[in-house]
Amino acid sequence: MKELLMGNHAVALGALKAGMTFFAGYPITPASEIMHFLANKGIEFVHTEDEIAAANMIVGSSLSGRKSMTSTSGPGMSLMQEAIGLGHMMEVPMVIVNVQRVGPSTGMPTLPAQGDILQAKHGSHGDYTQIVFYPNSVEECYRYAIEAFNASEESRSPVIFLMDGFVGHLMETVDLDAIPCAIVPRTIPGLGGGNRHFTGLLSKNGIPCTMNSDYYREWFQKMKSKATSVSDRYNFFEYLRGDDAKTLIIAFGIVSRVVLPLIGKYSLFRPIRMFPVLEKELKEIASGYERIIVVEMNDGQYKGEIERVLKRDVEGISLIGGDLDPTVVGEKIEGLSNGKLESYPTEAR
Amino acid sequence: MANWKVTLLRPDEEHGFSSFQDGVFLLFFFPGWWFLMSYKDYIKWERMPSTWCPGCGIGIVLKYAAMAIDELKIPKEDVVVVSGIGCSGRSAGYFDVESLHGLHGRALAMAEGVKRGNRKLKVVVISGDGDLLGIGGNHLLHTSRRNVEMCVICINNEIYGMTGGQMSPTTKKGTVTLTSPEGSPYNPVNAQGLITSNKDHFYARSSVFHLNHLKKSIQEGISRGGFSFIEVISYCIENNGRRLGFKDAPEMLDLIRKNYKVNPSPAGKLGDLELGIVKT
Repeated sequence: MKELLMGNHAVALGALKAGMTFFAGYPITPASEIMHFLANKGIEFVHTEDEIAAANMIVGSSLSGRKSMTSTSGPGMSLMQEAIGLGHMMEVPMVIVNVQRVGPSTGMPTLPAQGDILQAKHGSHGDYTQIVFYPNSVEECYRYAIEAFNASEESRSPVIFLMDGFVGHLMETVDLDAIPCAIVPRTIPGLGGGNRHFTGLLSKNGIPCTMNSDYYREWFQKMKSKATSVSDRYNFFEYLRGDDAKTLIIAFGIVSRVVLPLIGKYSLFRPIRMFPVLEKELKEIASGYERIIVVEMNDGQYKGEIERVLKRDVEGISLIGGDLDPTVVGEKIEGLSNGKLESYPTEAR
Repeated sequence: MANWKVTLLRPDEEHGFSSFQDGVFLLFFFPGWWFLMSYKDYIKWERMPSTWCPGCGIGIVLKYAAMAIDELKIPKEDVVVVSGIGCSGRSAGYFDVESLHGLHGRALAMAEGVKRGNRKLKVVVISGDGDLLGIGGNHLLHTSRRNVEMCVICINNEIYGMTGGQMSPTTKKGTVTLTSPEGSPYNPVNAQGLITSNKDHFYARSSVFHLNHLKKSIQEGISRGGFSFIEVISYCIENNGRRLGFKDAPEMLDLIRKNYKVNPSPAGKLGDLELGIVKT
């Protein structure tokens, strides 16, 4: 049945479909609708005192046997970072939804942005491999919320589900029943019955070993290869090839919808699994293009990642400030192609 | 398995002798399989000796928490011990049950997640004054307000021991520490006031000297069916006591004996130097 749905609601529905039975969260614009929607759905629902409690609570509930999720936006995401690192250390499957808004700090709460891209990858201290998804439509919010739970169960690690204020508040008609979905069941037994010790310290079989550098390296390689091999099965992306296009636009989230009218003259590569970066696919596709333009609503965060992977010059258009005008975006891309604009304009338009 | 050692000492009113409880008494007066269990089955002996300094008070709490759980006949598979960060945060790892050692200050949030995730579990939180009352103060305020069923044992040694002896939220005014070289300028946090400000509350103050009282408090706290907070007066000889001029741990323990008295039926609230249980 087709219905009119908001992106935030679709994420919540996807999570319920994936088997989530525990939600803890703290209200924040523009993510609050996820909370509102889940408050009366018969799951264990906690409106916590802050985002730190929410993130730590889902670590506990996930260990006790429930698929768990929290949702927030920039400021809350910053508070949750320590718990995300804990989730990686304890190997806890959990999903954190970040509906991005303009930062830093309280910034512009009601306006969308894509400024938390690198935070999603590197937010918590120390080294870890983070799996990140970023949909661009209401249907994808539903579909990839399920995949986020699947990936977190398989990799036994926190998965970050990025959105932006636009996608979160986007209303579209979708037929959820028609979306095919496979659901990965729980991969770890819930608490009770054993004598396992889950700790944020580096530990070997539940016994902390905090002075063993060799073991740290061994453990780190194991964790990294686990996350990489699991994420290889979730290598979602979209590639729209323009006839005779010499330029490849890389965009994600709402920006990838805004640049659509230009596709044909240009090609579009849209990563859905943002991190780990789709290196193989990107190298293969980018090799056929003379120029690459990364269009994003931040100061070139993903552009740096693309440059790192492709090891060549990449142009960027940063649409900062929270407003998104398709005509202006088009002009900027055209202008960049004609050499009229600076290759990296960061000033407000 | 069972501790067969028989002691002829009877526990007196305030100071218990552990081996009595799991010896003859249980063997003869409680029929059934349970007499084969003792508090020792709740502890991972293979991890001993513990990480704590010689003379530390935390080991006493570890033992008496295990004894309290054992005597309540809670099966091991239903117990989850959660702790935060600090010296006392390490205690979760010594329990031979499922245990969690989380982030600094967030033990209560994680414990609430565990409890709400599986209501069958009995959740015991063991952490320190810095963790629960300092960095985790906000969570204490709200977890106690939501009255989530868990027993919180707050080992209060009035110092940040693990990091070398800095002023904690419970450090008494005038005490010299690394971060208060002129003596702490602030009054300590009033844990009793904080907990008892909730309409529905359970607050107990006990000490690592008054062992029977400690065990009884923990047992009442666990079987309450709501949020219970037990402040255990402890001490830290290595990173606090020596700086204050104490020669050894027994000297600090003796000070607790001299200073604190058990009030079996407190009217309203406990006095500053009283031990007891305040509940609704």
